Amino acid sequence: MKRLHLLAAVSAFSFVYVPLMRSAEAHKEFTPMQRRWWAIQKVVKPPVPAPKDAAWVRNPIDAFILEKLEAKDLKPAPPADKITLLRRATLDLTGLVPTPEETQAFLSDDSPNAYEKVVDRLLASPRYGERWARHWLDLARYADSEGFKSDETRPNIWRYRDYVIRSFNEDKPYDRFMKEQIAGDELYPRDPDALIATGFNRHFPDESNARNLMQRRQELLNDITDTVSATFLGLTYGCARCHDHKFDPILQKDYYRLQAFFANTRIEDQEVLVFGAERTEYAEERAAWEAKTKDIRAEMDQMAKPYLAAMYKENFDKFPEEIQDAITTAPEKRTPIQWQMYYKAKPQLQHSEEEAAKKMKGAEAQRWKGLEAELAKYDDIKPPDLPVAQAMIDNGSEAPKEYVLKGGVYDAYGEEVQPGFLSILDPDPAKIVKPAGLNSTGRRSALANWLADPQNPLTPRVMVNRIWHYHFGQGIVGTPSDFGMMGERPANKELLDYLAATFVENGWSIKKMHRLIMLSNTYRQSSAYNPDAAKMDPQNKLVWRYNRHRLEGEVIRDAALEVSGRLNLKMGGPGVFPPLPPGVDPRGGWKKNEDPSETVRRSVYIFVRRNTRYPMLEIFDMPDTHESCGRRNVTVTAPQALELLNNDLVLDWARAFAGRVLNDQGLTLEEQVDRAWKLAFSRTPTAQERQHAMEWLNRHTPILANRLAKDEKVPLPDDLPQGTDAARAAAMVDLCHMLLNSNEFVYVN
Amino acid sequence: MFHKLAHHWNVSSRREFFTRAGSGLAGIALTSLLAEDGKLKAASVAPDPLAPKTPHHPPKAKSVIWLFMEGGPSHIDLFDPKPKLKELAGKPMPASFGKVVTAMGTSNNSLMPSQRTFTQHGRSGLWVSDWYPEIAKHVDEMTVLRSCWADGLNHVGSVCQMNTGSILAGRPSLGAWVTYGLGSANRNLPSFVVMLDDREPVGGPKDWSSGFLPATYQGTQFRTGDTPILHLKPPAGTTDQQQRSKLDFLKWLNEDYAARNPDDTELEARIGAYELAYQMQSAGPEAVDLSKESTATKQLYGLDDPETAAFGTNCLLARRLVERNVRFIELYAGSGSGWDAHTHIEANHSKRCRASDKPIAGLLTDLKARGLLEDTLVVWGGEFGRTPFNEKGDGRDHNPWGFTMWMAGGGVKGGQTIGTTDEIGLRAVERPVHVHDIHATVLHLLGLNHEQVIYMHLGRAERPTITDGKVITEVFA
Repeated sequence: MKRLHLLAAVSAFSFVYVPLMRSAEAHKEFTPMQRRWWAIQKVVKPPVPAPKDAAWVRNPIDAFILEKLEAKDLKPAPPADKITLLRRATLDLTGLVPTPEETQAFLSDDSPNAYEKVVDRLLASPRYGERWARHWLDLARYADSEGFKSDETRPNIWRYRDYVIRSFNEDKPYDRFMKEQIAGDELYPRDPDALIATGFNRHFPDESNARNLMQRRQELLNDITDTVSATFLGLTYGCARCHDHKFDPILQKDYYRLQAFFANTRIEDQEVLVFGAERTEYAEERAAWEAKTKDIRAEMDQMAKPYLAAMYKENFDKFPEEIQDAITTAPEKRTPIQWQMYYKAKPQLQHSEEEAAKKMKGAEAQRWKGLEAELAKYDDIKPPDLPVAQAMIDNGSEAPKEYVLKGGVYDAYGEEVQPGFLSILDPDPAKIVKPAGLNSTGRRSALANWLADPQNPLTPRVMVNRIWHYHFGQGIVGTPSDFGMMGERPANKELLDYLAATFVENGWSIKKMHRLIMLSNTYRQSSAYNPDAAKMDPQNKLVWRYNRHRLEGEVIRDAALEVSGRLNLKMGGPGVFPPLPPGVDPRGGWKKNEDPSETVRRSVYIFVRRNTRYPMLEIFDMPDTHESCGRRNVTVTAPQALELLNNDLVLDWARAFAGRVLNDQGLTLEEQVDRAWKLAFSRTPTAQERQHAMEWLNRHTPILANRLAKDEKVPLPDDLPQGTDAARAAAMVDLCHMLLNSNEFVYVN
Repeated sequence: MFHKLAHHWNVSSRREFFTRAGSGLAGIALTSLLAEDGKLKAASVAPDPLAPKTPHHPPKAKSVIWLFMEGGPSHIDLFDPKPKLKELAGKPMPASFGKVVTAMGTSNNSLMPSQRTFTQHGRSGLWVSDWYPEIAKHVDEMTVLRSCWADGLNHVGSVCQMNTGSILAGRPSLGAWVTYGLGSANRNLPSFVVMLDDREPVGGPKDWSSGFLPATYQGTQFRTGDTPILHLKPPAGTTDQQQRSKLDFLKWLNEDYAARNPDDTELEARIGAYELAYQMQSAGPEAVDLSKESTATKQLYGLDDPETAAFGTNCLLARRLVERNVRFIELYAGSGSGWDAHTHIEANHSKRCRASDKPIAGLLTDLKARGLLEDTLVVWGGEFGRTPFNEKGDGRDHNPWGFTMWMAGGGVKGGQTIGTTDEIGLRAVERPVHVHDIHATVLHLLGLNHEQVIYMHLGRAERPTITDGKVITEVFA
């Protein structure tokens, strides 16, 4: 990497593409066009242009945008009004709508930096991390379960979700964020967050009863390779699994070179997150408990033994011979690949004593119960289990050999390869240093350091483009996880490079990047339509206005809960289980939260059952968790309308929302309408809207009055103030319900 | 509509591709509906992912009913008689048949002949065992594919592959591809419907997922009872009059918002979505209301018998959905791995066959009587077959190397078998047909060339058959 940059000696302000080639071998393999591929050229911070309308330029972003607009004789849209801007910034950074108090404070702040203060307030809010973590979880294909047939729960994987939230809130530098997720165990071995972070590569779907474990291992490695390359590099390495990439200069060999960094990894689902004195203390307490319970446990072990052995044998016999060999080979004689197979087979062979006990009958079962009760008497001296991460670590310091696989077939071995980066950038094997004092290969550390190298042409570009994409609903490169030839070209490469260079200069700070983008006039434009601009640039690639876009399902749910006053802002911990619609009964289970306030927490905390996404979120295009997603689909469908219209939960929120409106003391009906508008839309209704709402309430109320007269049940707020007319209150519920369904509510403008 | 594209392809403008393929880059549904109603200027109409699309060639079938025998029915006990197994009964599999790795490690177990009686049926004289006496009466409508093979060893991967082409989850199911490729032929029901007769199939809803295609194309699971679709009924305490009044208010709000934010087709589409949702509320229950079906029809499907009623009801519903232009209907029989007879295959399959025989025969009879069979393709099969060697003495293990499926109806030649397995029914030998070939054939009958149903995803031109698939032309009438 380093030597490459000497060769790529471009003057700071030159845009001449200089191929980053250095070996004759590589030279042969790539065409001149591939060598000119924009995404792999060094990032050079371009000079800020000086467009004609200098007054519009608030920061360098505006200069880059305006220059392109002026070249096409286009003008940016007028600035968004204060309320629109506040709502946009709040939804964008926190995934919630501004409260009426926040709106009022902003409207009455006339200072020139009023908006800047809002952006800083939002960036400092813990809600920010919850919002932006969700974007990263899409990329990480995060789920709380295994997938495949049984879709078993991963009981501790939620710590990864909380880690991502924490990292965004702390503004963890992105280089560090990458390094922790790729090789946290090697680089920061006693840092609990870094161990949790390795869960990024633990999120693959997995099959608990696979028999052909060589094939299964290969599928996992493929999943990891595809995800790492798409997420961090914005490259579709997956195309090179079976043959050289047809369009991008990614050789089939490069696919397996990247994969080789992970060749020696294995799952560690019991990675203890406590060190030092606390851990010693635990060990001592545990030892004391063990000593006191020795006899009881010995008897239980003895009783469970034959059942465990039988279960072991039953599963052992199902494996093909080579796997059986790997299991029975003495540890000191196991080859690295046998170790891989051993660890893959282990979960199928190990069973708990609880499972064994389920098979006991009669007196034996009685005795077991008695012993359990005996054991429970010592629970008060038993230390609680230590927190653990579901992590990805190396399985020793010797990696199995890695081969190019012909046609991508798991046992069709071709040429042997060593870990390495894109050959077009560096055809040599990566320099691997075994980490001192750790039983690990150091391979992933080498990859992490390469990704986090400030000179890496891809990682900073890919990340600033993602940030831009989430702010504007469209990236500078429209395909955020594909910077290849089949992806879109950057609409404004100079801007992208300016942002990438600035990102690295600012210590990879994501919050500084938000600030830069959000304080620009570009971001502050309204979404007003301009027919001339639309003709010239129908996709708004030049950003002549802000893109109005539909909120994600998570944001619709969270904002509706917030407006209804029901949202529980408790942070972190295991996933929560809002009720499922009747008849939806996922394999793997769906618990019931005994405390109902747990079911109205933010959507990012909803348990993600891999095979059955939470229906309300799925219907609004929450991505499939079987692969990395860098850009969600956006659909508008009738089932979405049914969801918001007929789901009891949404009506429930409307009842609470109406309750908030009706419980404000001393409001006239008109003022109640105003209040509902303010809560849902952050603004007062226009005179015409108010009049229409009043007329509609007057028409709608008798429908409800008639039904109430017939003693029919109508949806009403739980806490109706004394003396409220029930029909009026029910009509207000219906009005609030429709505000939550409206386009103004589900679109950010 | 579609360009001819390989799995990797070069194109000058992605945007042009997306616009022309109507792939839902912005994924805006319903706009063609609005255009028809004159609410949108033609120039501003965004591609509607569900708008009917022109097929590649004239279709032979308008709808598909896929009868999924989940868990793996035993081909050698149903459609593929193997007298050789009687000879080899109780002996280990001769080495000449080759070693296989099975799910349960049973390949060294002794061979177990079928206890069923096979007879020839119809004018064509196709062989069917006594487990399927009613279906046997329809052999002259059927092409029996005796040489199917697949890649997965376990249920979840294999069910996934039979639906999506891949043993790994994440790809769109065939029904989703069909909806993407052809659009919807109806306006107020889903175009791809899934029904279960028991528990959730292994893999759950991802079996009918749209994968990387927009969610618009995913299958909708019809639930039992009068509200087949989630949230189809207004919430308790809301009458139709009240709901209509609410929707009128919403419409006013949304039209007002659209007027303030002009030229946004997505906002218009969302207004249309609510009107469509309102229509679905009556169309859905109407589609599943069996009260107007005659007693004779109900008996034909076995609704009067508790053993056949569950699957029979789904078969009858499938006919009603075909009549309402639903394109792809997938019915799971024994959903939740019901056919997975690792032990007691006699008891297991007797029950499963009994539960599905009369309903399927009734469906074929009814479709034919109503003139629907000629453009409705019926597909029968599991995710794999079962092994000729025993498991635990009286069961059979999974067999993805050779198994039977059959097709009938729209464009299918009646009364023929295609392909063979070896003498013990372990592997497909003559004219092997892979899952991808079956998918390619189904698509072909629907008027789609499987190589031209393309969706750009992560830099690859993805298609239903991934990189393989050959149409089985011998199937065609």
